[in-house]
Amino acid sequence: MKILIVDDSEVMRRIHRNTLLEQRIPEDALLEASDGVEAMKLAIAEEIDLFLVDWNMPNLDGLSFVKKLRDMGNYAKTPIIMITSEAAKYNVVEAINAGVTNYVVKPIRGTILWDKIAPYLKDVG
Amino acid sequence: MKAKYVNPFLNATMGLFKDFLGLDVTPGKPFVVDDPQDLSDVSALIGLAGETTGALVLSFSRDTALRVVSRLSGKDYLALGSEVLDGVGELVNIIAGNAKKDLLDFRIVISLPGVITGNSYRINWPRGVPVISIPFASDAGDFRVNVSLKELA
Repeated sequence: MKILIVDDSEVMRRIHRNTLLEQRIPEDALLEASDGVEAMKLAIAEEIDLFLVDWNMPNLDGLSFVKKLRDMGNYAKTPIIMITSEAAKYNVVEAINAGVTNYVVKPIRGTILWDKIAPYLKDVG
Repeated sequence: MKAKYVNPFLNATMGLFKDFLGLDVTPGKPFVVDDPQDLSDVSALIGLAGETTGALVLSFSRDTALRVVSRLSGKDYLALGSEVLDGVGELVNIIAGNAKKDLLDFRIVISLPGVITGNSYRINWPRGVPVISIPFASDAGDFRVNVSLKELA
């Protein structure tokens, strides 16, 4: 199993990582990227089972990353959870149209965040 | 600036500091700032664009920044390193993004946050638009949220 955490904030990546480690997700299952460009490289090099993606990032933002990912045949159906501070309804609609599987508004952590992630890990070995 | 444009930032700040970080926070009465360049040790800035223009600044002392980011991250910080500045930027990003939910008059795009320390800087606030400061008292120390948003005619 591989989970890719994509966020330009080191603190946010730590929060997501800690949430997953607390739920006994093995450390070697967690990959991190600080923008969409870095995430795309990892998506190509690895087989990612779940993406946790921020929206506002330098170089390649989360929305553009999701669109690129969905255009790649092997990630057409992989779960992508967007975790962002963007709380406006029009942002949620835009993200869903771009292909995100679920949309979660920051700030969030701990079991509340885990409850949003866990359903997408059921079928992952 | 109308209350309907100030309150979303106040409510988003309370949601972050009080509800999420669990701090005891009390907002003061918002006021028009005489000198918008008068900021504390650490300030995080985010630009607002789209159907209006504006800016949002979260400003606090060094010690308050350390306490708040430690609370956010779950790790104790003693110095203003890159991770603390990153955390401060994330705080203003959350306030701006969350406030958009209640700013129903415009579609707004937020910039990436920037963080500045010390007092030898100037912020280019939108011209001709007042800067409103919302003061907050908290058990992590006082802080201010300054917002300027051009209202549509």
